[in-house]
Amino acid sequence: MDKILRIDMGADGGPKTSSVPLGQYAGFGGRAMTSAIVSKEVPPLCHPLGAENKLVIAPGLLSGTASAMSGRISVGGKSPLTGGIKEANSGGQPSQVLARLGYAAIVLEGKPKNNDLYKVFINKDGVKISVDNSLKMLPNYDLVAKMKAEYGEKICCISIGPAGEMKMASATVAFTDMELRPTRHAGRGGLGAVMGSKGVKVIVLDDTIVRGSTPGSPAVTMQMRVPKDPEKFKDANKRFVDGLKSHAVTGQGLPAYGTNVLTNILNEVGGYPTYNFKQGRFDGASKISGETQAETEKTRGANPTHGCHRGCVIQCSGTYNDKDGHYLTKQPEYETVWAHGGNCGISDLDKIAMMDFLDDNYGIDTIEMGATIAVAMDAGLAKFGDADAAIQMIHEVGKGTHLGRILGSGAAVTGKAYGVERVPVVKGQAMPAYDPRAVQGIGVTYATSPMGADHTAGYAVAQNVLKVGGDVNALKPEGQVELSRNLQIATAAIDSTGMCLFIAFAVLDQPDTFQALLDLLNSFYGMNLTADGVTDLGKKVLTMERDFNAKAGFTAAQDRLPEYFKSEKFAPHNVTFGVKDEDLDKVFNW
Amino acid sequence: MDIDNIESWPSITLEVEGPLVSHFFLLLQQGVTIRSRTGCSVASFLREEIGADIETIKRIQSVILDGSPVDDLESAVIKDGSVLALSAAMPGLVGATLRRGGTYSSFRSGITYHETQEECVRGEGLVQIKIFNLLMAELGPRLLQKGVIISSEDFIRFATGQSQDFWQGCRRITLDGKPLDAGELQDTAWLSGKGQIFLSVSSDKARA
Ligand code: SF4
Repeated sequence: MDKILRIDMGADGGPKTSSVPLGQYAGFGGRAMTSAIVSKEVPPLCHPLGAENKLVIAPGLLSGTASAMSGRISVGGKSPLTGGIKEANSGGQPSQVLARLGYAAIVLEGKPKNNDLYKVFINKDGVKISVDNSLKMLPNYDLVAKMKAEYGEKICCISIGPAGEMKMASATVAFTDMELRPTRHAGRGGLGAVMGSKGVKVIVLDDTIVRGSTPGSPAVTMQMRVPKDPEKFKDANKRFVDGLKSHAVTGQGLPAYGTNVLTNILNEVGGYPTYNFKQGRFDGASKISGETQAETEKTRGANPTHGCHRGCVIQCSGTYNDKDGHYLTKQPEYETVWAHGGNCGISDLDKIAMMDFLDDNYGIDTIEMGATIAVAMDAGLAKFGDADAAIQMIHEVGKGTHLGRILGSGAAVTGKAYGVERVPVVKGQAMPAYDPRAVQGIGVTYATSPMGADHTAGYAVAQNVLKVGGDVNALKPEGQVELSRNLQIATAAIDSTGMCLFIAFAVLDQPDTFQALLDLLNSFYGMNLTADGVTDLGKKVLTMERDFNAKAGFTAAQDRLPEYFKSEKFAPHNVTFGVKDEDLDKVFNW
Repeated sequence: MDIDNIESWPSITLEVEGPLVSHFFLLLQQGVTIRSRTGCSVASFLREEIGADIETIKRIQSVILDGSPVDDLESAVIKDGSVLALSAAMPGLVGATLRRGGTYSSFRSGITYHETQEECVRGEGLVQIKIFNLLMAELGPRLLQKGVIISSEDFIRFATGQSQDFWQGCRRITLDGKPLDAGELQDTAWLSGKGQIFLSVSSDKARA
């Protein structure tokens, strides 16, 4: 991982590639890499779909190694949805493969001069870019099937669906999983539209090499990246895996039920946003809970415990079969089940799974899409609970009808178009599945994250491990602001390692597992990273992102929740969001 | 639900092959009611009514009483009509937030449980229990063996959703103490509109 692949899509005579050394970006991976390149090279006031914006795709620091959980990949650019900097990350196979091919990042720059659609093929021999207009408007599953027919089964793909081609603000960048299905998405912020604006439909990665010189010699994948200190690395990895396996969440809860295990408990505490954030409980919650979902999957011969990439030992994912036992989609995650389920008043798991498939196929962010449908339901376009109408709305987006273009632009635009006041967005991005009135600390992160309302922004390592900003008295009101700050710093750092954020639960509770993570990084790179170093990295990333947003015109006014969260009481606890504006403004004081 | 009428509710007992007890677990996430002591702390309720030992209680990371997360199991009091939900450790920041006494409990201080009752009124009452995720297998068999109250509609939905394999694995069924064959129980028309029923399920798992 010692080079960056730059592809100038606007070069005279067609796309030009160059492979350049890391230079000033050495030592960066994942989110640190995407945010560093975007903040240095993209003019903050540029149009997100213009030639000056860049799409950066970066594996994590440990991707492509034998380290467990190291297969996350970050995608960054200026967001068409928020107008600010964006990093969205995903699982899937491409992170490992791209890293093994030696690339620390792919940067798509410029803009083609015509409407041709390109595919990019990268293997050990280099990069080939070709026009392939037969791919136009292909949904992700069909596209990947075509690539498989053309390049064989050992590839993996990074792609956009029709939503990305139509440059919709809720479009995703899709990544294939171990079964070569486009089920993993860098979902948030519309980065699929940026890829669409560059005219790139798909990047196909192939890290196979032929072992032996005789005809018929087997094709095998390239070797793992080699650590500076292999013995220490092996030992750290073992401790890391043991820590993950022994923790109740990463070792048992997530593998058994996936993230949707949260539905029942969020509903029970009245923090489950229902009917477009009108109330905190949904009568149909137990019908769509993780427990019900896992049982349904087992009964139908699907697998409720499955990884999204090789090397995942938590395996929070799974597969979901239809009533006849045929694969329908991957196991929908909690946020997806909520967005299309309780938030829209829908309690039919099969219909929700269908919506998950359609979102993946058209390349649409499930959270944004679900939140948008709920806003549209509030506008009277359909009744809450009408699953068929919700499915139809997703088809409208996929086909790019006039209505679909509005819906595909996200909840904020749909709310404006239909005159709806209750639009749960921050910086133009829809809130995920936790109501900030019931869990106010989450609201602090929704309001202040440079990414817009984001549930993963404050997800990571406990301050009692990192001691970010010293000890926090969690019982004081200002403790919520301090905790949110610490979590955002730690998350930015974890996002830069390429580790799946779900390791955070084990790292949060077990200092030994956190030390094992540091030892993995140190033994691989020959560094001496300490907890303080992790903190500094997180702060650096957030500072770059905040600076970009400030130059793009963001002020404190954008670090706010919509007004109605302060005035509309949220049942059953009848609470409003009470964190003061001046406290929100202190989140980034360090 | 009126405790005075409890004796008039139909009482169904099932003795099933061990693994089949898991078929009843999804009833537990919806909530089942038990007749129990009230006026006691959540901690003693868990120990004495649910049969949870110290290690199990450690694994019950989130305790929700009447919709509010409980931090102190000793001071929160179970009352007639209480709804108590139990969960193992949950993922995510929100999962961490909802853990009892965790670092992030301040994130949900607005909905945290605070005991208001100054004096415990000891007595007997009906308490609804919801058991989620990994705890279903841990606490479910024993609770089901002790017996739970559910609505006849929930039982009808359960019975009609079971395959023949399940019914073949039912070794003994009784209704109000009299033996019943599986076919009679599958024909649930007679249960419709019965209100509540008392259900007890025993298996090798509960006995183990
Ligand atoms: S824990 Fe889940 S999201 Fe993370 S790498 Fe494994 S399957 Fe993917």
